[in-house]
Amino acid sequence: MSTVAPPPALATQALVAGYERDLPIVRGVDFQVAAGELVVILGPNGAGKSTLVKAIAGLVPIHSGHAFLAGADITRSPVQEKVRHGLAFVPQTENIFATLSIQENLQLAADILPRRVQAERIAEVCDLFPDLAARRSARAGNLSGGQRQMLAVARALIVKPSVLILDEPSAGLSPKIVGEVFARLKDINAAGITIVLVEQNVKAALAIAHRAVILVEGELRHEGPAATLAEDPIVAQLYLGAAPAGQEEGR
Amino acid sequence: MSVELIAYGCFFLTVALTYAIMCLGLNLQWGQTGLFNVGIAGFVAIGAYVSAILTTPDTAGRLGGFGLPMAVGWLGGALAAALVSYLVGRLTIRLRADYLAIATFGIAAAVQLCALNLEPITGGPFGIGFIPRPFAAQAGNPLLFSLFNLALLITVVLLLYFALERLVRSPWGRVLRAIREDETAALALGKSATRFRLQAFAIGGGIMGLAGAAQAHFIGFIAPENYLPMLTFQVWAMLIVGGSGNNRGAILGAVLVWGIWAVSAALIAAVFDPGQQARAASLQIALIGVAICAVLLLRPQGILGEMRTVSRHLGTLAKRTQPAEKRPE
Amino acid sequence: MNPQVLVDGLIAGAMYGLGAIGVTLTYSILRFANFAHSELLTFGAYAALALSSALGVLSAGLLAPIGPFSFGWSLPLAAIAAMALTGLLALAVDAVLFGRLRVRRSSIIVMVMASFGAALTLRSLLEFVFTSKPAYFTRELQIALPLGGGMRATPDQLLALAVAVLLVVAVHLLLTRTAIGRSMRAVSENQALAGVVGVDVRKVIRVVWLLGAALACVAGIMAGLLVQLRPYMGFDLLLPLFAAAILGGIGSVPGAMLAGLIVGLAEAGTVQLIGAEWRTAVAFVILVLVLLLRPQGLLGRPQA
Repeated sequence: MSTVAPPPALATQALVAGYERDLPIVRGVDFQVAAGELVVILGPNGAGKSTLVKAIAGLVPIHSGHAFLAGADITRSPVQEKVRHGLAFVPQTENIFATLSIQENLQLAADILPRRVQAERIAEVCDLFPDLAARRSARAGNLSGGQRQMLAVARALIVKPSVLILDEPSAGLSPKIVGEVFARLKDINAAGITIVLVEQNVKAALAIAHRAVILVEGELRHEGPAATLAEDPIVAQLYLGAAPAGQEEGR
Repeated sequence: MSVELIAYGCFFLTVALTYAIMCLGLNLQWGQTGLFNVGIAGFVAIGAYVSAILTTPDTAGRLGGFGLPMAVGWLGGALAAALVSYLVGRLTIRLRADYLAIATFGIAAAVQLCALNLEPITGGPFGIGFIPRPFAAQAGNPLLFSLFNLALLITVVLLLYFALERLVRSPWGRVLRAIREDETAALALGKSATRFRLQAFAIGGGIMGLAGAAQAHFIGFIAPENYLPMLTFQVWAMLIVGGSGNNRGAILGAVLVWGIWAVSAALIAAVFDPGQQARAASLQIALIGVAICAVLLLRPQGILGEMRTVSRHLGTLAKRTQPAEKRPE
Repeated sequence: MNPQVLVDGLIAGAMYGLGAIGVTLTYSILRFANFAHSELLTFGAYAALALSSALGVLSAGLLAPIGPFSFGWSLPLAAIAAMALTGLLALAVDAVLFGRLRVRRSSIIVMVMASFGAALTLRSLLEFVFTSKPAYFTRELQIALPLGGGMRATPDQLLALAVAVLLVVAVHLLLTRTAIGRSMRAVSENQALAGVVGVDVRKVIRVVWLLGAALACVAGIMAGLLVQLRPYMGFDLLLPLFAAAILGGIGSVPGAMLAGLIVGLAEAGTVQLIGAEWRTAVAFVILVLVLLLRPQGLLGRPQA
């Protein structure tokens, strides 16, 4: 071999994780995301998608296996360290500080940066989200669902992350707003930030993703390019196979 | 073996058993239901005062006494304490878990203050004397008198014990534990979970009131300084040492801690000068505090631990609910 | 009504407010009612007393009253050291007790109970060391100055009021204008999310203990200066402090100060109108009314 390939932006190796030791929800996942990719994690309810990304972000205990960020082992680094390494995470619910103002939400994220670049970074992010910039002193709790999601994404971008992970950003939003949020994610990805997305909204997610992986019962069962996966019968089969007939999709 | 020694032994056990009753009440509130009551002294005082007012002979310058039979007094004391517990619970149980602790802390202070200041009702700082004593006819014979009293208290404790054991094993008791152990079960039950907790809190408070009444009649007089926060601390130490969640542990803890307390008090009296005794007594209290913390850290189940039979119920229940209980995906 | 009620109420209220700020801060971030907070108050007061006496032995000049006040330089110097000591005590108790329970994800009520045990231990140890006999920072007598309108206050009382106001403003600015204050508010709202955003939650908890303990220490010194030092001084303040913290709204610093003043004024009014023997019932009545009418407090957000 002549050249060494760059390490993936994000990778897991035989990752086992869950809230309790004797009850792993993620059961040995090997998973890689190349720099610049936009990957969506799909799967039926209870498959462990959310637990997988929370474990990577440091919110759920990892029992065994490893997680790597650009080749560096981040398995044991505490949650507040991961963002300093360039891994930003946007949780599904309660992903903003409702009692703080928009400005304070952004400033809080900027507090870990050197003092001289803080204002500059906030201004840069505000340029991307003019709606938020216009109401910087408003309490975040007064924002609508879509605006909250935008604020959560904006806050995650403050630190210029190399990888951005989002847990079901479409949850609870109207189809129109989902479209706006996803369009924004596509822009962010185009600007060079690797994105990993957990989604129930298969159609919208596949429309912007490069690649999709399917998680069933805590294991990686299938993966492929987003464009072909949308048509692939195996997707429907995996979804239906895991869920008893008659169970509705989504919640 | 001298008669005095036996009489003293009976006296010691009788007092210990009045504490055992308080402990049983607290066990229902904390051990079975997880409700933290820091105002035990207040509920005990209510029981004692109500019973005293109901049963003492008519006294000039004070409400009552009504000269009613002792059984009426005990029942009245228990009911009054249960009612106050119900009201406190009603106010706070639906709020944050620790608001109940703060509120009960407050009620004990308020009861103490009322006992001290409402002279026309409570006799003020001098309290109430001449509370009829059980088996007063036997008072001439100390041995017989103390034996009868002990027998009465043993009967009360046993009756309570069996009643509580039945209650704990009943569907009602199982629901209580389910609510305590499992947030999801509590949420699923919603409003009725609050109702179950409230019932347990009121019954527990009533039992404390009964203990207060029994103690008042056994000793014969009451005064506000009998119901200082110290009493609350002692009863907590008893339950924690004996093992919360276990009625036998509650009784054992009461006798054991009261024994340790009595022995250490005697020791302090023998070892220290009178001037230093109050100071040394504070070490006794510090030990209770250390014991509470140590038990929480090292042996949360106490000496006897939670009862097996019920724990097994719980185990199956917990296992059944576990997968569903997992946090939302 | 005698206008003096206003002065008495404000001065007592300032003391309550200062104590309640510590309660409300630790409560909102540690998420349990800390019954041992009152013992931090007592400990702080006694630590200042011991240090101040020691300084007086080293140099008698430090005991000479400063200007119109009843105490010498030994007290403010001792106060600074006592604040640090109280903070260390709080960190130590957290390390051996609360921290361990937190790691096990113990329920709120187990934490409350542990705080209860810790309170019992600390208070009794203080009683053992300093005995239950009341102690005083100074034996100097002070003459109350006329303030106009028939109201009077001693220089010490006015100083206490000024210190309370100053500290409330300082803590408020700390919370709203600094990075650590922002982190504290973030942890208070959502601990997990704060971690995700990069806040070191354990560091915030340490800072909150230090801050809460230092404030408790100042409140304790104030109570000792204006009234007296007793091992139960903190314990007796516990109900007014909890009442003020809940009335103000858990987590709200201006709310705690406002509520402290309300409790102080209500007590002074009660003493005047009903009688001094009912003073201690006021806090309880206020507590019941808040829980009944507005459990989230005056300036608080609704709690789950």
